[in-house]
Formats: sequence, C-alpha cells, structure tokens
Amino acid sequence: MLENQSKELSENREDEITRQLCANGLFMKTTEVEAKLDEGNIQEAESSLREGLSLNSEEARALLGRLEYQRGNLEGALRLFEGIDLQAEIQRLQASAPPPEKPVTKKNRPREPQQQPVPQHAASLVLEAIYLKAKSLQKLGRTTEAARECKSVLDSVEKVFQQGISDAQVDTRLQETVSHAVELLPALFKDSGDYQEAISAYRRALLSQWNLDNDSCARIQKDFAVFLLHSGVEASPPSLASQVEGSYTPRNNLEEAILLLMILIKKFNSGKAKWDPSVIEHITFALSLCSQTSVVAKQLEEVMPGVFTRVERWNSLALCYSAAGQTSAAVNLLRKSLHKHEQPDDLVALLLAAKLCSEEPSLAAEGAGYAERGVKNAQGMDEHLKGVGLRMLGLCLGKQAKVPTSDFERSRLQSESLKALDGAIAFEHNNPDLIFELGVQYAEQRNLKAASRYAKEFIDATGGSVLKGWRFLALVLSAQQRFSEAEVVTDAALDETAKWDQGPLLRLKAKLKISQSNPTEAVETYRYLLALVQAQRKSFGPLRTLSQMEEDKVNEFEVWHGLAYLYSSLSHWNDVEVCRMWEGRKEFKPALAAFLDGLLLDESSVPCKVAVGALLCERGKEYQPTLPVARSLLSDALRIDPTNRKAWYYLGMVHKHDGRITDATDCFQAASMLEESDPIESFSTIL
Amino acid sequence: MSDSSSSHDSPPPPAITGVSEPPVANDSDTNAKCQTALQSLSSIVTTATIPPTISLLLEDNAVSAAISSLLQLPDSGAGDNNLCRWLYDTFQSSEPQLQLLVLRFVPLIAGLYLSRVPLRQPQAGFEAVLLALYAHETTSRAGQAVTVNIPDLSHASIYHESKGPAKNNSTCLNIAVISSTLDPHGTVRSTRRARIVGVALELYYGKISMMPRESKLNFCESCEKWAGQNGEREEEEQPRGLIPEEESVAVGGRSEKDSGRIPLPWELVQPILRILGHCLMGMKGEDREVCEAASKACQSLYLRSLHDINPKAILATGSLLRLREMALDPKNQVDHTEISSDNVLSV
Repeated sequence: MLENQSKELSENREDEITRQLCANGLFMKTTEVEAKLDEGNIQEAESSLREGLSLNSEEARALLGRLEYQRGNLEGALRLFEGIDLQAEIQRLQASAPPPEKPVTKKNRPREPQQQPVPQHAASLVLEAIYLKAKSLQKLGRTTEAARECKSVLDSVEKVFQQGISDAQVDTRLQETVSHAVELLPALFKDSGDYQEAISAYRRALLSQWNLDNDSCARIQKDFAVFLLHSGVEASPPSLASQVEGSYTPRNNLEEAILLLMILIKKFNSGKAKWDPSVIEHITFALSLCSQTSVVAKQLEEVMPGVFTRVERWNSLALCYSAAGQTSAAVNLLRKSLHKHEQPDDLVALLLAAKLCSEEPSLAAEGAGYAERGVKNAQGMDEHLKGVGLRMLGLCLGKQAKVPTSDFERSRLQSESLKALDGAIAFEHNNPDLIFELGVQYAEQRNLKAASRYAKEFIDATGGSVLKGWRFLALVLSAQQRFSEAEVVTDAALDETAKWDQGPLLRLKAKLKISQSNPTEAVETYRYLLALVQAQRKSFGPLRTLSQMEEDKVNEFEVWHGLAYLYSSLSHWNDVEVCRMWEGRKEFKPALAAFLDGLLLDESSVPCKVAVGALLCERGKEYQPTLPVARSLLSDALRIDPTNRKAWYYLGMVHKHDGRITDATDCFQAASMLEESDPIESFSTIL
Repeated sequence: MSDSSSSHDSPPPPAITGVSEPPVANDSDTNAKCQTALQSLSSIVTTATIPPTISLLLEDNAVSAAISSLLQLPDSGAGDNNLCRWLYDTFQSSEPQLQLLVLRFVPLIAGLYLSRVPLRQPQAGFEAVLLALYAHETTSRAGQAVTVNIPDLSHASIYHESKGPAKNNSTCLNIAVISSTLDPHGTVRSTRRARIVGVALELYYGKISMMPRESKLNFCESCEKWAGQNGEREEEEQPRGLIPEEESVAVGGRSEKDSGRIPLPWELVQPILRILGHCLMGMKGEDREVCEAASKACQSLYLRSLHDINPKAILATGSLLRLREMALDPKNQVDHTEISSDNVLSV
C-alpha cells in the first residue's frame, strides 16, 4: 500500500533499499535509526522509535531487532533481542491466556477500530522476536542455541493456545511465525546433529494442531520422509499418545517414509498441495529398495496427467513392471513408446524391450528388431551402449533359433547370434554375463571346446560366485563325455554352495552317476535331493528369497521324474542289490504316471515327451496301438529341441517297430552323431 | 615406534582395574578391552601415534590413514595378516565403541576383497572379518528377515484420515523383504559371498551416522571400482592414487581401470544404494566432497545398471541422480523459513 511512497524516497545508501517503520498508524524512515544503530547507540535508536511511533520499550526493541535482521546485521539483531526479557513476556502471556471456551477475535490490525485483546498482539510480537533470534543464531552457525530458541516459540504457543490453533483464532502474522517455527525446528535439530530431537520435532509438527497451510505441511512431510530414508538413524515408533485406535502406525523408518510420501502424492493428485517432482523420485527410490516396483507403477499411474509426458510415463512404467517381473505389461508399454510416432529412438527403452523379448521365443524376432535399432542409435555419448545392443541382438537371435523353423533358418540364426555376441565382446571384453552367454551359444552349436573355455573364464571372472557358471561347465564336460571331470566340478560347486541352493547341482550329480553306470549312488543322490526339496517346501516361508535360485529351483516332481527314469532303466540292469529293493515290481506304470503328470504340468516339456514316447515305444513291441502316440510325442519334442539324442533314438525305434527301416536308420544316425556331444541336461536349461 | 605406544599405554593393564572394582565390572571391562585393543594396534600401526582413547581413535585421521594404507598392501587380506586379526578380535570384543572402529573400515575391506576375488589371492583375513560381521548380524536378529509393510492409504494412519470404509487393520498389508533370512555360515562359500558382504554393508549402514567422512569417501570410491568402466567421460580416466600397485597389473586381458569390476547382484546393490542415499541426502550439514563422490558413484552405478539392463537398479540410481540434480538447482534452494522482507516494518 505504501510502495509508491517508499519508492519516491530515494536514498544514497548503497543497498538501495528504503525501509519504513510503521506502528500505531505512524510512519518513520529507517535511515536515522539505522545511523544510530550503526554507531552502536541502541538506547537512542530505541528512544527515537518510542517517540516517533509511540511504542513501549519492548515493542521498540523488537522492531529494531527485526530491522537489524533484515539488514543482515545478525550480531546487532541478537543484541537487541537479548535486551528483551522474552521469558517474562511469555509468562505474562500465559497468565493472560484466554480461557479456551471464550472465542478470540482474529483482528488486531491497527486500522481496526475495535479494541484488540492483548494476548494476540503481544504474543505475536514476542514470538516473532524469539523466532528471529533463532534465525539469527542459525545464520551465525549456532544451531544448538537456535534450536533451543525455536523450540521455546513452539512451547509458548502450546501453553498460550492450549486447545491448539485454529483458523479463526489467530491473526496472520502470528500464524506465519508459528508456521515458520514449526518448519524450522526439525531442520535445526538435524543440523546440530540431535537426531532424536529432530524426529520428535518432525512428529510434533505433523501430529499437533498448528493450523499449517497445505504447502508448508507438505514440505515438512517431505523433509521428514527424506530424513527417515537417509539419515541412517532409526527412529523409535511414534508415541502411544499419537496412535489412534484402529489407524495404521508405521513400525520403522521405511514404513513411515513411504507412508508420508504416499500421502504427499495423494495430496498432489487431489490438488491440495503444489506438485513437487522430487517426491516421486523419493518414493521410486524407497520402493525400489523394497523391490516393490509394482507399487511405484501404481503411484505413477495415479499421477495427474500433464506432469510427465506420455512417453516418459510409459517408459518409467515399463521399468517398474519389468522389475516386478510383469514382462508382458512392460513390453506392451514399450511398444507404445517406441512407436514411430512417439520416441522410436529412445535407447534405454529399445534395450529394455530387446532384453524382455529375448526371454521369450515368440517375441525374440521382435526383440532382434529393437536390438538392431538400439545398435544403430548407440552413438556419440551413448556409444558405450553399442555393446549392450549387440549382446541383446545375439540373445534374441539365439532365442529365435529355438522357435520351430527350417534347419537352414535355424543355423543361419545361430551363426548370426554368435556374430553379434562376438561383436559385443569387443565392447565389453570383461562383462562376465556376456562371456557366459557366448559360451552357451557355442555349446548350443556343439562347439564344446570354445564353450568350455568360456565357461572357465566365466567362473574365474565371477570368482565362482554364480551357480549357473559351475553348472554350465559341468554340462559342457558331460557333453564332452568327460563325466568324472564333470563330477569333480559339480562337487567343487557343491562346496561353494549353501545347502538350500544345492538342488540343481544334486540333480546334475545324480545324472552324472547314472552316466557313469553307478545307479546305487545315483539313487542315494536322488534320495538326498528329495529330502532337501521336501524340507525346503516345508520350511520356506514367503520371507526367504533364494538369491540365485529363483528361476531354477528343483521342483519335487522333477526328482520323482528322475527316480522314475532311473527305476525304469534299472529293469534292464540286473543289479542284484537294487533289484532286491524293487523286488518283483514292474516299474513301468508308476514311471509312466509320473511322466504323464509332468506333461500335465508343463505341456511343452521336452524331457517328459521323450520319456513317455520312450516308454510307450519300449512297450510297443507287445502293444502296437500306442506307437502312433509315441511317434507324435517324439516328433513334437524334436520340433522344439532338434538336438535331443534320445528323441531321435526312440523315434528310430518306433519306425523300426512299424517296419519303416529307412526312416529308422536316419533317426539312429542322427542319434549316434549327437551322442558324441550330448550334455547331461540341455544347455537351454541354464540360460 | 614403540616409544609412542609405551607412553600412551601407561595406564595399568586390564587385570588390575578388573580386580579392584567388582561393582563396576562392566565399565572397567570395557576399559580393559579398549586398552588391549589400543595396545595391540600400536604394535601393528607404527607410522602414526595411537591416541589414548577409543573415541579419539575414531576421529583420528592419521591413524585411519595409516590403517587404510596397510589394508591396501597387496597381501593385506591374507589369513595371517596382523591387521585383519586385530580387526577380527576387535569386532569380536562386542564393545560397541570398538565395533564402530571396525565398521569404519568396512568400505575399504569390502572394496578390496570383492575386487581381488578374480585375482585368486588368499583372502582368509578379510573373510574372517566379514564373517564376524555377518555372524554378529545373524545372531542379533536371530536369522530373521527384515521386512516392511507397504502402507495402503485406504487405511487411516496417524498421518492421514481415510474416507474409505474402515477395514480391519491386519488385512491385506503388502509385505516387502528388505533383507532376507540369514543362515549361519562358517566359511565364505563363493555363491554366498555377495550376501555376506551385503550384510556387512547393511551393518555399516546401520551405524552410518557415526561414520567419519573419509570412510564414506572410501565407500564411494569402492562403488566406482565395482561398477567398472561403462562409458564414463574421458576426463575421469586419470590414474587414481588409491589403486594399489598389484591391481594395476592387467589380468588376463582385463584393463587396469576395469580390474575392480564385479558382478553386482541385488543383495549387494541394495545396501550400496542405501549408503549412497545417505551420502547424498542424509548427512548433517553439507559436505560437498562426500556429495560429489557419492554422485559420481551413483553415476557409475547408473551406467552399469544400463549395461546390465537391470530395471530395478536403473530406477533407484536414476532417482538418486535426478534428486541430486534437483538439489543443485538454485530454484529449489529457497529457504521457506525466512521471513518476508517487506520494506515496511511494523509491530
């Protein structure tokens, strides 16, 4: 209202700020008072104010203090505030505090004609003075003292306004001081290193009635959440007094922080507080730590439109969903964001899409397309990602080669896959994952020498810390028919593995025993494995995450399968001891039942198809009608896995029983060629 | 320098204090343990003067630097290494003060240990220290998992009211595992290595507000080494003084800069990110050096997670980097507790 006046009063002062003092409807320029203050004549400055603006001594000092504070003269401001006996003032206020039931008018502006109740005005004056004292101390680096002063502002407010502050009770200036103090106090405790006090100050700010506006409440909530997330100090749970029957009370820092951040996002979404982009980042961080990215996705989906561009939103959601294992949701989002009308060249999105597609044979061709685009776009600053693009291309092509297609197409894809992975290794020569994938690709193409070199390199590079590396080496060795070496590797791996993770290795070991014609030990190993798997099923609650075994847990059925297979083989070997164990029992039926169960569980399981086919074929000699079933099962298995030696062999047997000798010969030939390079479990079980 | 140690260790040896005052046995026991630890440290660290009390030792940069350089010697992790033995014994004393002292070196030990694994050096000394930390954590939480309930806003909470129908408080809480159950391990099996180091880092994070800044700087540096070279700017390729000689030797075609690159499973990444979050946003006051080191580490891990196409790590590191950017933006550095600077001052 007085802007124009004050602007007219030009001054010679360097800072070009012209200030006026105003009270009781009177105005006064600050220049003369400032001069006195600069000379150190506080008394004179004070008395000229008292005369010029008809103020009492406390009021004059408080006003001078504020003037000094605003001029940045903090020491001076402190001297002035220390000259007021603030504690005495507060006690007077408390004494005159109105009884709670009597309403207090909120106006006390000088222009108001009514008589103001004393406490409002005086409280405002005194509390502001203490607050500015705290601010001055803070700026001088004396945070501990500042915190004490600031706390006394809030303590006084609580004493004077025993019922809490409500909108109708308080004038704006007093409210402003209170809001400032509520916000400042935890920050001061934090800076002074008094973390437990900081936590209770934050909770006091958020759980008591201070009549804060939405934005400052939101700021405090965010600051507290950040403090809880990152201070490294574990907060004790909120006091019982603040807990309401039936309402949720967080038990630890992360819970409390996530709760606050969720409340904040809800406030933003309902327009109750101003959008703060850092909040969504904080909650993304916190929930990612908890591996709850699907909850992040939910939060992102609720964010009001216009905050993120749609491509940004799709890409973030895709990251969330893929981290949560919801691959198809992620791929669908990436398809949208990589559409030619959106951002088809976004490198991270391309690479993520390629990776997700590389896991699924039916998507592999699409993935190869993304990977190629990724390679093309990895330029300039992003050139270092070219290797990643090539690696993904190799993986996608390798997966694509598994989809039923012509043999020619299959070998073309396989060699292109190798080429891409080889290209990638030029960029990332020390990426163990890539070394591993290259090894598997070589193994799939039966280049076992190269495969075993990469397998060893992978174990070296990872220090043997990755289980699949051990398994891979053992499989390669078994494919080279070096069973005893494979068993040595498996035993070494068992040594490096905790009990719960040993399943796949034991299964491997049992099979190696069989290959070495040692069925007794194989049965032993299987029994041990069975006990382990059953113990696991019983003792694993939802809280145990199996670090490396997520996808590759041995399921109980598999073990039965292995045992069934072993028994059915045993009917050929006339081992006396074992035969006594299974005396007189024809093991055909339980074995067949087990395999059929397996097929029901997983209808594309190649081993089950082959096994059922084999059993039916064995019996086929006496029982002709099952031969067509066996044939179709075996052909089906070969369509999925053309390198399955046993499938070729039994298909040959079926042809033989049916009298198609030429077909049978071809099949046996294929089987015998593969026999020389067949791993004990398919290589594709580990990638 | 044996003279310095003898002058500081003049207080009577443990036996006397322990016997003289039975009622305060705990206190004197503590003192005795501390004095023993100080004494034996002085025979290992000879290049710096060991201060007379543990609290002084925690703050002592000269001694820390001396210990750090001993740790970085090529054979520092061996089973017969005196310093490792001292760290092990000191942690086993179960004196909180002494344990802090050991935790202070966790970043360096974990950094060196994991990066040296592919070099096939004997590291039984480092492993003993890390296993001691792991066993401590396993015992103190009885092997239980650490979990968090992900709140659901449809329940009212202490911080908000809910308009929705009041539901039973116990239903449909979403439980997240922060740290999975711990099985006891007597040796470091290689497939459990990351978990054991990860638990040591969790323990470190638990005390991080008491850790000196040098320790945090060590940690940030370890992170950068672990992440490896993933296309950082060229200017960062200057040789760093802290890489010990033996690691500069290229191993089987692995470049010097990359020799520290390790597999980064989530059980390592998660505690790493919590520590970096603290370095970026949780420290008392501003420490620019630590902040910058942490944001460099974050940058490296972000690039690494892109190379691994690890969506969870991309989300978390990306968020940290964006938060750092926002914090540096002057637009966000408004002090909301400042009073309005009107030109008209009134009472």
